[in-house]
Amino acid sequence: MITAAPIVRAMERMGRAPAVDAGQDVAPELDADSREWLRGLRAEGPLRDATIARLHALLLRAARFETGRRKTTHPHLRGDLDDIAQEAADDALLAVMARLDDFRGLSRFTTWAYKFAVYQASVKVRRRAWQGREIPVEEDAWAVVSAGSPGPAEAAEQTELLHAIHTGIEEALTPHQRSVLVALALNEVPIDVLAERLQTTRGALYKTLHDARRKLRRYLAESGHAHGELVEEVS
Amino acid sequence: MTHENETARAIARMLGPAGEEVSCETCFEELDRYVELELAGADADAVIPGLRAHLEGCPACREEHESLLSLAASDVL
Repeated sequence: MITAAPIVRAMERMGRAPAVDAGQDVAPELDADSREWLRGLRAEGPLRDATIARLHALLLRAARFETGRRKTTHPHLRGDLDDIAQEAADDALLAVMARLDDFRGLSRFTTWAYKFAVYQASVKVRRRAWQGREIPVEEDAWAVVSAGSPGPAEAAEQTELLHAIHTGIEEALTPHQRSVLVALALNEVPIDVLAERLQTTRGALYKTLHDARRKLRRYLAESGHAHGELVEEVS
Repeated sequence: MTHENETARAIARMLGPAGEEVSCETCFEELDRYVELELAGADADAVIPGLRAHLEGCPACREEHESLLSLAASDVL
């Protein structure tokens, strides 16, 4: 039997989730169900405990949904998935309670809460799936990509574009941009795995990837490889 | 763009989506609202510009969008 109360009590000791008056006003545009969630979570005593337990159950359902999607892609994790879902629900509960005041009522409360559980579960699954695995080196990737089998009409154009991209990666990107783009886009290392290895965040890595892609598209355009919608206008 | 083979998919991954896109942080902040706009049949892309492009370019956020959409839809039904 899972009880969420110890987690929230620990959080309160850290000063992260102050209980407030149950009668506190909430935005009038909130739907009735969302208002009820907020009222319960901001209450004290039995109502608060019961609402937190209900929220934990909701988050666990969302986390199990997320881990359940990975059963086929990560069969070796099958025995771990429920543990991952439990951990994800616990962490999501902490996140939801810590950020309760950020809920703007632009969606239902349950949809807002689900996203924390989905995020926690998906990150944990990706990292567990790559536990102990090395990040592939750059040379591995090009051989795999070149082994694709386009139809004859596409082959020449694709091969030329691929060569141009390869050259652009070497010439236009910084070493860090090159490593990140190759790992994420070519070798398909999950972004959360690379973020953990490099001790950074998903957002910071994606910014690097975004900048690298932009430079690459610009390089292609400037070297006459405009490729339909893939190449943005050079500023 | 259609993905007819691994080479084409890899090229698309390396070049990413054209046009402006939001960050992973903004995507997370707006994802619940975006999903509910989609479920309501509203023009979510017009309300939150750049989020669709981000989902095309970021596999992690895309997977989370798919899950959140399914979960939110199950509540609506």
